[in-house]
Amino acid sequence: MLNDLIEIFLLGGLQSGMYSLLALGFTLIYGISGVVNLAHGSFYMLGAYMFVTLGAIGFLGAGTMLNAVFVLVLAAIVVGIIASMIYRVTIHPVLGDEVAIMVATVCIALIMQQFVIIFYGVTFPRVAWPEDSILMNTANILGVTIEYSYIAAFVVSLALFGTLMLIITKTKMGKAMRAVSQDVEAAMLMGINTERLYMLTMGLSAMLATFAGILITSSTTKSAGAWMWLQPLALSFAIVILGGLGSIKGSLIGGFILGYAEQTVKTTVPEGGAIVGVVPLIVMVLVLLLRPKGLFGKRVELEE
Amino acid sequence: MVRSYFRRAYSSFTAHVFDIPPRFMAFLFFLLLLTVPAMQLGSYVLRLLIMANIFAIFAVSWDLLVGRTGQISLGHALFFGIGGYTSGLLFQFFALPIWVTIPAAVAIGALAGFLIGFPCLRVKGPYLALITMAFPLILSNLVKWSPLEPIFGGELGFRSLPPFFPFLPFTQAIMAEYYLILLLLFVSSIVIYKIANSKTGIVFVSILDDEVASKACGINVTRYKIFAFTISSFFASLAGCLQAHILKLANPPMFSLDISFLPVILTFLGGIGTIYGPIVGSYIYVILDRYIMSILLPKAFESVGWTLPREFDFAKLLIFTLIVLVLIIKWPRGLARFATDELQNLEEARDLDERGPRIWKRYKKTKH
Repeated sequence: MLNDLIEIFLLGGLQSGMYSLLALGFTLIYGISGVVNLAHGSFYMLGAYMFVTLGAIGFLGAGTMLNAVFVLVLAAIVVGIIASMIYRVTIHPVLGDEVAIMVATVCIALIMQQFVIIFYGVTFPRVAWPEDSILMNTANILGVTIEYSYIAAFVVSLALFGTLMLIITKTKMGKAMRAVSQDVEAAMLMGINTERLYMLTMGLSAMLATFAGILITSSTTKSAGAWMWLQPLALSFAIVILGGLGSIKGSLIGGFILGYAEQTVKTTVPEGGAIVGVVPLIVMVLVLLLRPKGLFGKRVELEE
Repeated sequence: MVRSYFRRAYSSFTAHVFDIPPRFMAFLFFLLLLTVPAMQLGSYVLRLLIMANIFAIFAVSWDLLVGRTGQISLGHALFFGIGGYTSGLLFQFFALPIWVTIPAAVAIGALAGFLIGFPCLRVKGPYLALITMAFPLILSNLVKWSPLEPIFGGELGFRSLPPFFPFLPFTQAIMAEYYLILLLLFVSSIVIYKIANSKTGIVFVSILDDEVASKACGINVTRYKIFAFTISSFFASLAGCLQAHILKLANPPMFSLDISFLPVILTFLGGIGTIYGPIVGSYIYVILDRYIMSILLPKAFESVGWTLPREFDFAKLLIFTLIVLVLIIKWPRGLARFATDELQNLEEARDLDERGPRIWKRYKKTKH
């Protein structure tokens, strides 16, 4: 019993950090440009595939840890650029029409899925850290065995979260983002190039999705393959709705609620592993019935 | 100079030739569909058209809810799946005949829409879209869950559901199914069209345009929204149980996101908010995806001596989605709407003795 509690606390907490990172990109792009990006899961998938592809090239010596970290960053940048170009070509022309945006992003997601199937096949090339790196070892904390990579993923997630907060609160770009999220027209009158800002935000959001994709798929046994974008998409929209669309604080707290809820089901319910994908959705529906705008939901809230 | 004469001749030609009332065009379309079995195209084509009709019922029901009432639902697979699974359950456990399972499935689907309508009333816009997307995902996981396998049949779902006409030989049975489903499409699209253009339909559009203003006019918005959900789920579950009986199969993919997105894409292809658009969209989808790219193209390649790579199977969806994406960007109002607008513009152009370029100018203005 106590063992279960410790396991829930530790594993759930580590998982929650990654989930928050996953949802952060989704909430960022909604909060700033009002785009419900249903292709968010695809950027997650694209990131993982890009990591494998670029890692096979081996810029700084294939199979070394240095190379893996370099490729991680490189993959994020490449996916970010791809995402902002996709945004400019497909989503920007239909901006303002909610349904059209959703359909366009769904189309993007399906196109990417088919691309991946055509070029890589249905089976997934395994995303993993180099075999001999320290990340593959396991630690034993209070009787729970945890891989170092899992802990590292959690730390990196929180670090990225903090970095984003800093970008939004301290830099000039972040100031522009906050301004646009509050009032687009006024921001435009103040000379902010909204189109470029939206493209940047989309790139940033996709970069976060990439990091989440690589960290989650390399450290856990999440389902992988060409359909791997669906589950993170469901998860990220559940988190984001739970916390409130467009609220950054909300995505952190929503991520923790869902991470713990999932882990609780996984450890306590027999055969729980199969049904674990439902938990976020059920929690989301329940919360939404009580608070229709999520826990911290407001269209204009990016200061936090 | 010469070009302008050509353009003038073209516009007056199209304006005269296409100067037919839309009602008559729809009638002609159904007449054409009635004669299809006589063309001896083979049972495969009939199968395709049956599927097109089922998708059309499904997409039309989505269009009433989203295009007319503005309640964005990305989870229509819920009703589709409930329709199929109710049929399956009733057959599996009570061995009821098909003429009982279908009305029961439709009734339960409508009830589900009615019940789903209540929580969904509290949320709006993107929240509504995402929360409706969640329901079919929850159900698809539940029906797959191994402890519930004795009830829902697990990953495999229900197999060997009864066909519509077990007493007929194969070719005649398909023909009979074709006519039955065509009739159902005809009836349901007429019913939805009538609802959309009745007083209730006007209220739906007013909710889409401005919910607060319609409330201020004394309209009970809640009741109309739930009514829209119920009607829409009624026809969506009809499509679901028809598909289950045609394919003799009700399985977890009926709840998948693909099925949720199908009516969205079909409706956008045809034109959102027009009731006839989704029908056009589903025919285009089925003909393009399952006939031209699955049968005609490989045959054409074979006749030249090439063979299509195996990956082309996956590229079909890619090509289709790409087309839809381009359409959304270029003509967000859909193909059918685009065609009718073009005709209307041509008529106006004829009346004002204006020519081609003006049409495009109007387009630039209406696009946002």
